[in-house]
Amino acid sequence: MNQLNWLSRLSIAVCMGVTALNAAAELDLRNIESEVWSELHARHLASRAGFGANSEEMERLARMSPKKAVASFYPTGRTKLEPFPHSGIFDEGLDPFPPSRPATTALAKQQGHALGVQVKPAGNRPLQGVVNKFFYWLRASRLETDRVTYWWAEKMLNSQAPLQEKMALFWHGHFATNEDKVRDYRKMLVQLQLFRGEGLGDFDELLHRVAKDPAMLVFLDAGVNTKDSPNENFAREIMELFTMGVGHYTERDVQEAARAFTGWNVDQMQFKVVSADHDGDEKAFLGERGRFAGEDVIDIIMQRPATHQHIAAKLYRYFVNEDLDDADVPQLGRFFAEHDFNIGDYLQGLFLSRDFYQPVNVGSRIKGPVELVISTYRQMELADVPGVPDFNVVSGSLGQRLLHPPTVAGWSRGRSWITPSLLFERGNFVLDVLFPDIGFVPPDRYPFTGEVVNVQDRLRQGMSISAATKPTGVAGAMSASNMLADRDEDFNTRLGSMRGWQMAIERVVPIPRDTVQLSLYSQITRHELATPEEVVDFWQEQYFSVRLQKSDKAALANRLREELGTSDIQSASSYAEEGLRKVLHLMLSLPEYQLG
Amino acid sequence: MNRRKLIKSTASLVGLNMLPHGAWAKHPDGDQPILVVVELSGGNDGLNSVVPYADDAYYQARPTIGIKPQDLLSLDDHYGMNPGMLGLQRLWQDNNLAIVHGCGYERPSYSHFTSMAYWHTGVPHRGNEFGWLGRVADELAHERRDDMLVNIGSQQSLAVKSGHHTPLVFDDPSRFQRSRWMGNELGEQGGDDTPGSPNHTYLTNVDRSAQVSAARIRQAWDGYKTDIDYGVAPMDLPKVAACIDAGMDTQLYHVSFRNNSFDTHVQQPALHRRLLSYACDGIHGFIKDLEKRGHAQRVAVLVFSEFGRRVPENANLGTDHGSANVMFVAGHPVAGGHFGKAPSLTELVDGDNLAYTTDFRQVYATLIEDWLGVQSANVLGQPFDRLGLFS
Repeated sequence: MNQLNWLSRLSIAVCMGVTALNAAAELDLRNIESEVWSELHARHLASRAGFGANSEEMERLARMSPKKAVASFYPTGRTKLEPFPHSGIFDEGLDPFPPSRPATTALAKQQGHALGVQVKPAGNRPLQGVVNKFFYWLRASRLETDRVTYWWAEKMLNSQAPLQEKMALFWHGHFATNEDKVRDYRKMLVQLQLFRGEGLGDFDELLHRVAKDPAMLVFLDAGVNTKDSPNENFAREIMELFTMGVGHYTERDVQEAARAFTGWNVDQMQFKVVSADHDGDEKAFLGERGRFAGEDVIDIIMQRPATHQHIAAKLYRYFVNEDLDDADVPQLGRFFAEHDFNIGDYLQGLFLSRDFYQPVNVGSRIKGPVELVISTYRQMELADVPGVPDFNVVSGSLGQRLLHPPTVAGWSRGRSWITPSLLFERGNFVLDVLFPDIGFVPPDRYPFTGEVVNVQDRLRQGMSISAATKPTGVAGAMSASNMLADRDEDFNTRLGSMRGWQMAIERVVPIPRDTVQLSLYSQITRHELATPEEVVDFWQEQYFSVRLQKSDKAALANRLREELGTSDIQSASSYAEEGLRKVLHLMLSLPEYQLG
Repeated sequence: MNRRKLIKSTASLVGLNMLPHGAWAKHPDGDQPILVVVELSGGNDGLNSVVPYADDAYYQARPTIGIKPQDLLSLDDHYGMNPGMLGLQRLWQDNNLAIVHGCGYERPSYSHFTSMAYWHTGVPHRGNEFGWLGRVADELAHERRDDMLVNIGSQQSLAVKSGHHTPLVFDDPSRFQRSRWMGNELGEQGGDDTPGSPNHTYLTNVDRSAQVSAARIRQAWDGYKTDIDYGVAPMDLPKVAACIDAGMDTQLYHVSFRNNSFDTHVQQPALHRRLLSYACDGIHGFIKDLEKRGHAQRVAVLVFSEFGRRVPENANLGTDHGSANVMFVAGHPVAGGHFGKAPSLTELVDGDNLAYTTDFRQVYATLIEDWLGVQSANVLGQPFDRLGLFS
């Protein structure tokens, strides 16, 4: 077997790193020399520019030149983005979708129909059909969004250009938009495709496109920003979160920018400017004056060194090291400028730099939840993302449910990924993959709000709608929210919620629920590993970016020996899989596995 | 001595606020006072929460989204509550709710994230590496403990970040465990102490702390059942009740109404009412639950938001980021009533914003000193005038 002994190479690299490091705080952004390129470098590159690599991929990368290796993570030419296989849940009348159930029923009362459904002219609960449709779309859009993220996860796992997906993940966290508020998976999908297609291009272009992106416009209330009353939400976040960061503009700049964005709106899936709502008067913004439109504001922001530095530093923190010294930020801003603010080129510069391979930057980063999940699957050499455990449930319980970031600021990174319970969840995820839960309930078939199932059961027992939809088991004073739920006799909200689920489940295509397809034993045989110690060493290389403690490795090897009842793995071939999986679960539950 | 008897006797003799600092902490055999902090993230609109209906300026600034007097839950001849706030109205009627008006700080930030960081650290404009509750914990116990701070949420709040202690952060208590497949365990780890990256050290510390505390939390939750109506989204307060009822030594809890929910820029009225009903139902249910279990005397609940909202409504039936806001302190030990001076609705600052009248750290200082018995200046770096929130 090809025993790498990369630990001793790491110590060589440490020495090289120390000598290469300049005395000053400057980052060493000069290109790395081809002669020093090794499997160690390849591993580091794969964990950062992609989602990790298995041992064959690492060997292949190590044989390339640094330039070729880095280039292999990029898409070649203009690869067309494959279309998403829609379930077909959208109906005419659902867009624009009113902001709330009360707004929907108010609209229906006023105009006699809403969401493409007529109000019943006579009879009981005339608005029930409208309310059912409201809940249908809420559920269906959410479930279809879960199909979008599954589809995206497959791309991350199997992409020939993993950096493309990694960048999309970065921009999704940067320009964070949540389906809970957008309430339209189609808009979420369009935005995701924008990040996948343009995420490695010019930042200028990307920013302009995001500002006109339907999901973003809805998410930051840009669609209701009119000259009579400018809405500051979008103007504020574009400066605070998307470009310069706090401290580089005033409240006045926020108000003036909001005026420039007035009239920006979205019609179905298309961006449009409603000229009647646009404030065409002069604005004073960041020291400049003019009759600025939204595009001008973005152009002015793009001129600012604060923008260059903010983006360059955020990319560095994500791909290289979270603990970036503030003093180094201007240097990165200039480096970004030298690459004409092209994201792919700037990152190429970083991936080829000596700084990127400094020991302090290797194995020192806490993997984000989605990275952890996908890289685990890649290193296990899985062909597909398993349906059990559910990808969205797993990533969500680890703290990163895709297309549902917590706030417009995206996910916090680094150490905030780890709390005591989240650390447990990470180990439990590995268990769920290796020993699939036979009590698994597919969350796209079974309502996450259990009460609607109770409502259904009570209706089936023949109870009246009013009786079936009353909350049960409450002692003492009833809460305001429970009293509120049914105060309108024209419809029943809980009934609508139940029907909405039924209709959504009927139309959203189910997610395939294959469990993991894996043979650890055949991987072990392929690499001609004979003893428990060799297996543990191999897994250390395949899965880990930092050195495990000798005592831990010895304990793991002993554990495997006990499980197999022998030190001779081959002789245990008929039953070894179980023991191998148990020990791999233990190993991947170690805190060290969280580092990449 | 029985805790409740202790309360009765001390309260009847002198009144708790007349005891020296740390009245509670000085009784090692009694249960310690508990503070539960509830965060309403996104900037709750205080003006449409506690509505000054007797002030015409309110209706002038909010011709559309202003809540009409007849729709309000009555408090007194000047104020009424948002109709969603039934839970807090009930606490008010029981004299268990303090409303603190005009809370804010100098040169307010209108950024959610910046302002929230100021509230979390208790240090506007400068910030601090550690959160205010984390620093309280450091004052309460200098020796590292694994149960000083409980923070229920998917991520650790800056408010609980502590110099000595690892906060116990979890979301779903029933999932707060490492699955040990058929007793699969590695045994004692970490023999040879290799120096690793800061993240490596951090992971190892969290791992150790988690092993110790997870079982207790899980047991607390497994043993908890309630028939109190907490409403439909009670912000993890039942989990806090479970921890308290299980006899955990934790004195500081942090929960939140998550995900910037209160950021009501558009279509505010129905949404805001619903959010408030969830929050207030949860708080009311929590207090009632504690009453039933005999813990209500030793728990105070603080409710805050990173800012209030602008006085005039915007054109989208909503409100934009503002400055000063109301805070609530609830619970049996709390003296009900209005505290602080309500800001003027006509003499606005900073483009249509309320001028703050109460430094929010006065509320912190009151809780730290008069409730938890810790020198507040040690935590906040300077002394603040305290409010008589405890009677």
